[in-house]
Amino acid sequence: MSDFLQYTVFGVMLGAGFAIAATGLVVTYAASGVFNFAHGAVGMTAAFLYWELVVHDHVPVPLALVVVLLVVAPLFGALVERVLMRRLHGASAERPVLVTLGLLVILTGVATLVWSPTVTRVVNPLVAGTFRLVGVNIEYQYVITVGLAAVVAVALRLLFFSTRTGLALRAVVDDPDLLAMAGASPNRVSQLGWVLGFVLAALAGVLIAGTQSTGVNIAALTLLVVNGYAAAVVGRLRNIPVTFAAAVGIGLAESYVNSYAVPHLAQNLQTDVPLVLPMIFFFVALVTVPAARLRAVGRLTTVRAQRLVGARQAALSGIAFAVVVVLCAVALAGDQSNGTTVLDLAGQVMAFGIVGLSLVLVTGYAGQVSLCQFAFMGIGAFVMGKVAGGGSLLGLVAAAGVCGVLGALVALPTVRLRDLYLALATFAFADAVATGFFADVHVFGSGGLTVGRVVLPGLSFGGDRAELLLVAGCFLGCAWLVLALRRSLVGRRLVALNDSPAAFATVGLNVPATRVVVFAVGAAMAGLAGALYGTVEGVVGTSDFSVFAGVIFFLFVTTWSVRSVGGALLASITYVVLANVWDNGLGLFAGAGVILVGRAAAGILGAEPLQRFAPLASRSTGRSGPAGEALGADSRAAEGAFALGSEARAAG
Amino acid sequence: MKVLGTRRHPDEAVGPGALAVTVAGVRAAYGRIEVLHGVDLAVPAGSVFALLGPNGAGKSTLLAVVRGQLRPTHGTVTVGDLDVTRTPTERLARAGLCAIPEGRAVFPNLTVRENLRVWTYRGGVSMADVEAATYERFPRLAERRRQLAGTLSGGEQQMLAISRALVGSPRVLLLDELSMGLAPLVVAELYELVASLASTGMTVLLVEQFVTTALAVATRAAIMVHGRIVREGPPADVGDAALGAYLS
Amino acid sequence: MPGVPGVPGVADGPAALVVSGVSVRFGGVLALDDVSLEAAPGHVTGLIGPNGAGKTTLFNVVSGLHHPDHGTVHLFGRDVTALAPPARARLGLARTFQRLELFGSLTVEENVLVGLESTAVWWHRRHRRRRQGPGALDEADRRRAARAARILAEVGLTSVAGVQASTLPTGLARMAELARALAIDPRLLLLDEPGSGLDRAESAALGDLLVRLASSGVAVLLVEHDMELVMRVCDPIHVLDFGHVIASGAPAEVREDPAVQAAYLGAVPDGVGVAGGDR
Repeated sequence: MSDFLQYTVFGVMLGAGFAIAATGLVVTYAASGVFNFAHGAVGMTAAFLYWELVVHDHVPVPLALVVVLLVVAPLFGALVERVLMRRLHGASAERPVLVTLGLLVILTGVATLVWSPTVTRVVNPLVAGTFRLVGVNIEYQYVITVGLAAVVAVALRLLFFSTRTGLALRAVVDDPDLLAMAGASPNRVSQLGWVLGFVLAALAGVLIAGTQSTGVNIAALTLLVVNGYAAAVVGRLRNIPVTFAAAVGIGLAESYVNSYAVPHLAQNLQTDVPLVLPMIFFFVALVTVPAARLRAVGRLTTVRAQRLVGARQAALSGIAFAVVVVLCAVALAGDQSNGTTVLDLAGQVMAFGIVGLSLVLVTGYAGQVSLCQFAFMGIGAFVMGKVAGGGSLLGLVAAAGVCGVLGALVALPTVRLRDLYLALATFAFADAVATGFFADVHVFGSGGLTVGRVVLPGLSFGGDRAELLLVAGCFLGCAWLVLALRRSLVGRRLVALNDSPAAFATVGLNVPATRVVVFAVGAAMAGLAGALYGTVEGVVGTSDFSVFAGVIFFLFVTTWSVRSVGGALLASITYVVLANVWDNGLGLFAGAGVILVGRAAAGILGAEPLQRFAPLASRSTGRSGPAGEALGADSRAAEGAFALGSEARAAG
Repeated sequence: MKVLGTRRHPDEAVGPGALAVTVAGVRAAYGRIEVLHGVDLAVPAGSVFALLGPNGAGKSTLLAVVRGQLRPTHGTVTVGDLDVTRTPTERLARAGLCAIPEGRAVFPNLTVRENLRVWTYRGGVSMADVEAATYERFPRLAERRRQLAGTLSGGEQQMLAISRALVGSPRVLLLDELSMGLAPLVVAELYELVASLASTGMTVLLVEQFVTTALAVATRAAIMVHGRIVREGPPADVGDAALGAYLS
Repeated sequence: MPGVPGVPGVADGPAALVVSGVSVRFGGVLALDDVSLEAAPGHVTGLIGPNGAGKTTLFNVVSGLHHPDHGTVHLFGRDVTALAPPARARLGLARTFQRLELFGSLTVEENVLVGLESTAVWWHRRHRRRRQGPGALDEADRRRAARAARILAEVGLTSVAGVQASTLPTGLARMAELARALAIDPRLLLLDEPGSGLDRAESAALGDLLVRLASSGVAVLLVEHDMELVMRVCDPIHVLDFGHVIASGAPAEVREDPAVQAAYLGAVPDGVGVAGGDR
């Protein structure tokens, strides 16, 4: 009984921490229509800054709290709104998602540079010590966390329902123009939403870190705060009481499962389950909360930016193939001193290039944001390593097949989700697979999994050059497939589905089935890429396929251009070169890239100036010239287009 | 510009008055599609100006330009001595420009009372004034003050939207398709209000698809076709032409 | 008066579309209130009414994008109220959208191809090739390309076939939507304001095209504000106002109907009108 009470007290405290994190997310979303993917990273950064001040610099706790919560967090939130988010108004729906993802990898990247990622740090509780109540040990930190959660709840309730500013915060996303016509500045209201969100994230980070008596590292703390995301989704990103209840429920569930069920599991599962549990909650929340309600809020449904696909790709694929040829030449001339390194790099580029191609298909053509391609890649490598002794052509086929089936299974429940929600669901899946499966001692474990080179009867790809030819062949095959698909009826359908699901359905085509199939094909390609990556590297480990690595790669692809084969290849070159030159800087570059691209949905290769250099492509299909981002080009025009849309909707 | 953004005491009315609206050489486009092809319009201070024309003529677009929501590609718009294209919408509102856009210009997820509270952002008006004026004019809204605006009927939502013009004497009132989708009795009620607001001495620029209804309150009118003003003058002159343009 | 384009030679079969007792409520607003109407093959049926009357909502109900709160929709004698949009399309229903829903990243020709290929399945390629030898599919592709060219010629878009659809001006974009709708070979065609953005000559050509389609046995339901076009090609005409059908009949009858004139011009209520004139 006292055990039960102990677990309950711990669960409530954990839930209170999640609740603070979740409400911050809700406040920002309510006031700006943007889901801040970096929320967990903000909490993590704040907690580590607090650690730096208190543990390292011996600053008094109250002063450190003031600096972190009342100076740094609000300023940072205001800055992010002003510099990053404001210029995205009217951009296509995926841009804010990408920019906050960029912020996420920048923050974890900076934290990695400042604080070593592998070192576990103990963040002191605000007040140390425990007391005993009805046979239960209660830390003062627990009381403080629950108390602060209650204060936050009451304060937000008062703000939202009893102040004019709060009303504006609730109203701004529904109709920013109307709010301006009533005399309030929508930008300043949104900015307040970001400031509050960052303060709450920082508070949650400091509190949650303080409850982890064994200490935390960067990735773990970031993902701990992500626990709040599930609660926010249950609250449909706008209902704070429901969010609170859900957060406490999740806290209790985690506490009970970890205390009662986990000790009875097999040894390896004892470490996996606690890690994977939050993401399972998150995934379930995403696929079960009714979609119509989720879609109700936000600027997410405003203007769809114009896309540029088709003819230009012919030219870009030419570039891509040229690069392939160059790399192959390097490979063939590679008996110089560091030949193996070059070959190795080239193999990695090809393998990641295939993942990039899968993103061109899934995200570029069909418009489905998938953050879990690295998870499929890892699964592919795992299958390759386990099937037929790890060096069989059968392994490649099995890797693609298993991942294709898994992809369909992931796509089925998420088929109604788009943009943000699909991104969140795939993020949850990727993290669950990485922390719960790859990290298992029987999968990759600490030493990694050995994958052999492919051997066929009478033909061995054991040599580095032969191996590279195999990978390059697969890359060219996939590139040909993606390009051929784009010119076939399948490609037309995917692009059509992305442009207008309503028209797609009314010409007699099946929207959900198409989405499931394309996601499965993308997953199969990523699985194949993983298997090839395994054969190139020989040994694969958990860190190769972490959720952050997947996000970083995704951002590189979208930065170059998620709609062209060239973009996929340039992204994989960027990724591989940086990963080998300055691993810790990957996140900084990926984040900076996506922020620089800003609102241009087509990426660097899709930018208007570059298109003038593709006259060949234009001529080949008789296109009249570079087509700009007609509606997305100017935010005022974009808002106007939205107004035109609502006019049309109201009519008739 | 000093008066902008400063909060006035509720007892000081917003001043003596109505402001003129001048539209000069305005071109506007959605993306690459130009909707207004050089519009000139002078709305005299204190007039009730009806802008008529068939669907798709660009009337609502012009109003979106005048209220500062859509930036024209060419031309200027001034309200009094304020350059609309250089002034943020919220500052225009505080300077006395009250725009009721097309559709249901209320916050659907706020209650009636909460909507009214947002109306006080304009400055110079208190919550008590807004509530008193609104409930006196539309007793039905008083009964529904705790109801979410999104669940009101179309007519009630339009009443709530126009309640923004009831207090603090706005200097310019822009009305876009007030009657859209509303039953004739409700339209009559709303236009009675427009007539009485106009008589307090504010400039009214209204876009309306019902020619007769609009001309009944107008002191001046214009017809717009394909993004151009084709006729302008006293309501009686314009009316005949307008009838021709509709049911041809 | 060119009002009655009743098509000789096409027997009035069972109605292509029967809407009965359909009601739709958005929040507090009753967008459609017990609406019943029919569209028969061989006729261009007009649906007119002021902005906000519920015309587009009715189209969404008929095409399956919006489920009615009450009432049923029958297509070609079959109750389709519970069917999803693709299933209705396969029965022969095509539509255009007032708020344009073109596949903006594709070219105009590709938009039409997506419609033409809507019944094709990608694995047909191998299958056919094995049976009929290589090149069989290319033949199918060529046939489709030829049909796409014919359809584009019919709506006057040949010159912009290779242009990205999102860059088209409104009038051409509406014609491209019409072309895509024609590509699925419809038996019932719902057109939502196809004439807006067209000049006089284009609008006349559109009218001819609609009459031609009807005479080939297609049932056309036309929402349009261009009264000249409606009066010329439509018979019968239904008038929708505040979600009610307030009048139905031949063009001449509808035009003279006082309720229709009131709906379009707005009744002058007593007590309003004092503000004008003398100020």
